[in-house]
Amino acid sequence: MINEYKSYLEPKFVYLPLTDPTYKIANVKVEEGDAVLVGTVLGYKYKGQIKLPVISSVSGTVKGFEELQDRFGKTVDHCVIENNMEDNQIELKAFENASTSQVRARLLELGLEQINVDGIFTPLKFDRPIKHVVVNASFTNEPFLKTDYLFVNEYAEHIAQGIELLKVAANAETVTVIADKDMEPFAFNSLGEAIVDKDMRLETVKLQKVNGSDVKVISKLIKKPVSPDLLSDGVLYVKVDTAKIVYDAVVLGKVSNSRQVAITGDGIKENVIYEVVVGTKLSEIVSDLGGYNEVDEMVLHYGSFTTGNQLTTDETSITLNVDTINFQEYIELEEDVCTKCGECNDVCPVGILPQNIMDAEMRNVNERIVDLDTGACIECGLCTYTCPSNINVLEWVRRAKRRVG
Amino acid sequence: MKFVTKKPPIVTNGEHTYKRSLNLHIALIIAALAAVILNGFYTYPDVTLFTSGLEQSFKVFSMIAIASVISVVIELFYALSEGNTSKFSSYKGFVDPINTGILIALLLPINAPIFVLALAVFVGVYIGKIVFGGYGFYIFNPALVGALFAFSAFGAGHLASDIVTPLETLKLAITTNTTFELQSVLPLIIGNYQSISIGSTSVAVLGLLFAYLCVTKVIDLRISGTYLLTVLVMSLGIGFIIFGFGEMALGYVLINIVTGLAVFGAVFFISETVSTPTSRETKLIYAVTVAILMMVFRTLSSNVEGLIYAVLFGNMITPFLNRTVKHSNKKALLKTLVGITIAVVGVTFIIGFMLKGQIEESSINAIVVTLGGIL
Repeated sequence: MINEYKSYLEPKFVYLPLTDPTYKIANVKVEEGDAVLVGTVLGYKYKGQIKLPVISSVSGTVKGFEELQDRFGKTVDHCVIENNMEDNQIELKAFENASTSQVRARLLELGLEQINVDGIFTPLKFDRPIKHVVVNASFTNEPFLKTDYLFVNEYAEHIAQGIELLKVAANAETVTVIADKDMEPFAFNSLGEAIVDKDMRLETVKLQKVNGSDVKVISKLIKKPVSPDLLSDGVLYVKVDTAKIVYDAVVLGKVSNSRQVAITGDGIKENVIYEVVVGTKLSEIVSDLGGYNEVDEMVLHYGSFTTGNQLTTDETSITLNVDTINFQEYIELEEDVCTKCGECNDVCPVGILPQNIMDAEMRNVNERIVDLDTGACIECGLCTYTCPSNINVLEWVRRAKRRVG
Repeated sequence: MKFVTKKPPIVTNGEHTYKRSLNLHIALIIAALAAVILNGFYTYPDVTLFTSGLEQSFKVFSMIAIASVISVVIELFYALSEGNTSKFSSYKGFVDPINTGILIALLLPINAPIFVLALAVFVGVYIGKIVFGGYGFYIFNPALVGALFAFSAFGAGHLASDIVTPLETLKLAITTNTTFELQSVLPLIIGNYQSISIGSTSVAVLGLLFAYLCVTKVIDLRISGTYLLTVLVMSLGIGFIIFGFGEMALGYVLINIVTGLAVFGAVFFISETVSTPTSRETKLIYAVTVAILMMVFRTLSSNVEGLIYAVLFGNMITPFLNRTVKHSNKKALLKTLVGITIAVVGVTFIIGFMLKGQIEESSINAIVVTLGGIL
């Protein structure tokens, strides 16, 4: 667990990506030299007819547009804004008791749909009926426990209210909060006190043991194995920080222009939880941290360990949907042959058989890949995590999925 | 410094295949040492080859050493012929060949000639392992392939002809309908009796190794445990049916579990991951199949031990078992448990009553004919 806290809230420039893998076409609304406030719409990104706004995270002047690598490893256009350090925000109405449509409209207005992109967490989308809202109050991310318990402790009431707003927005029947059994008592108590009088169920699991316990909780809830798209199962699954952002946006009328990011790994001088302004360049944060350790080859991993992306440059900006960044010296890990121990089959939370799928993929047997229900893989990465031969089992399963569509 | 995207920096759960091979290696060295020491204390009444315990110990030691060396040499020659000997640059490359060598030596009887051992190792390592692509790719357990070759090719003339094991005595007593004298338990536990394989004597040592290998996750308790439980339940059932409730029935159980290759197999062969199924349900089916087959061989065939055939047959059906399973969930587990329970109970009753002579061969034929008619 990281106990070091730092903040970097006054970047000179911010770089905001105009597109992402879901919303691929951008329609820019600002020009070079335009003055913007925190929350000003810089443009819209489109997926067919559906559009999402790209909003400014600082107040200042648009300096132009630059091509940079985004968190998914794709080179996309970024809007560059010079920060005037005044932090002036657009006027947003605060809602005391927001209705379903008000919450949805606010989330849409601030472009918060794509806030969760890692793992099986779902986007804040309400286009399908949602029966259950599940909030993870403790998300393990090896080698460190990512969840910042001081954050949970400090904002427990806001988080609880944010969860309620999500329930309202989704018109959900149940709310389940998943907490770690080994959670720090002070944070656990605060969270418990905040949700005790609300209609929420607290589910404690042992998250130190990485075995997909959250997936099992959801599976129990929907009484069937979870599918790769949880929204189609009628489940909205988010983290506590999302609940806090929703609270800020709706109740306080505040644009979430900063977020906490856990920056870890042996490639950097210090492992810390950083509060940074959205759009800050990663290289600036690394410089603020004291730079890199002397290594020949570095792996830069954005997002969850098992499901995040690797980037080839640190000239990339922090977005609202990244909570973990890891810098690790690349060490050649020898991959042993598969001994067919079957541990990946045992650990798979959706009950499919990754070893058998990998075997079928190696032998190019399409029929068997389909037969093994490969499409049900939720890409949680537990098979890779558990493999004693260091085989990237998930990658083989992904290949098999791609092969059969 | 440059950024690379070669492999995700996933921190795994700390389990490593090599660590497991090494633990098996340590366990095998302990089992080999136990074999060397225990064989020094026991005198084989009918084996005239040795004059002292020390000679016996030396024979066991030389068998283990020679088998390991031959195994390593075969793999080394193969690596040389392939032009890639890099795996032998560290001890890691030697662990698996040595393990196979030790296992083959431990499976053979003390009076096995060295040339038989050498041939067994050659067959086991080359035909059983290398031909299939080496470690991780073989479909039959190489050590068992080697041992099977030795027993089938040289069994009558060279191997174990002078060794009378408790299982053999028991089998003779049942087939000739005579009583057998129950030995005291302690020698059976510490391994002071005649055994077909030099490594399978002391169930006390094997029990400790079983626990060690379970803790270090080298063996899967679901396979080895289910197998031992099935052997226990079946021998208990068969024992009770043949002898009725009493000391004889317990003696039958004791001899079936404690002596012979039952526990030795549970520790070193049943759970060998490469040649066994990969999912929970198929592992259970595999374990029960091997146990049932072993008991069938022990009771109904001329084979006294049956473990080698049973495990190799289990290996043979492993690809089929792997193909039959699509999901691993509670429903599949429940169905499997019900199926294997019915199979174990059914086979136990059939074997028991067949041995007791209550089911005549003619009545079985009648059942087969009736079934054929229905189908």
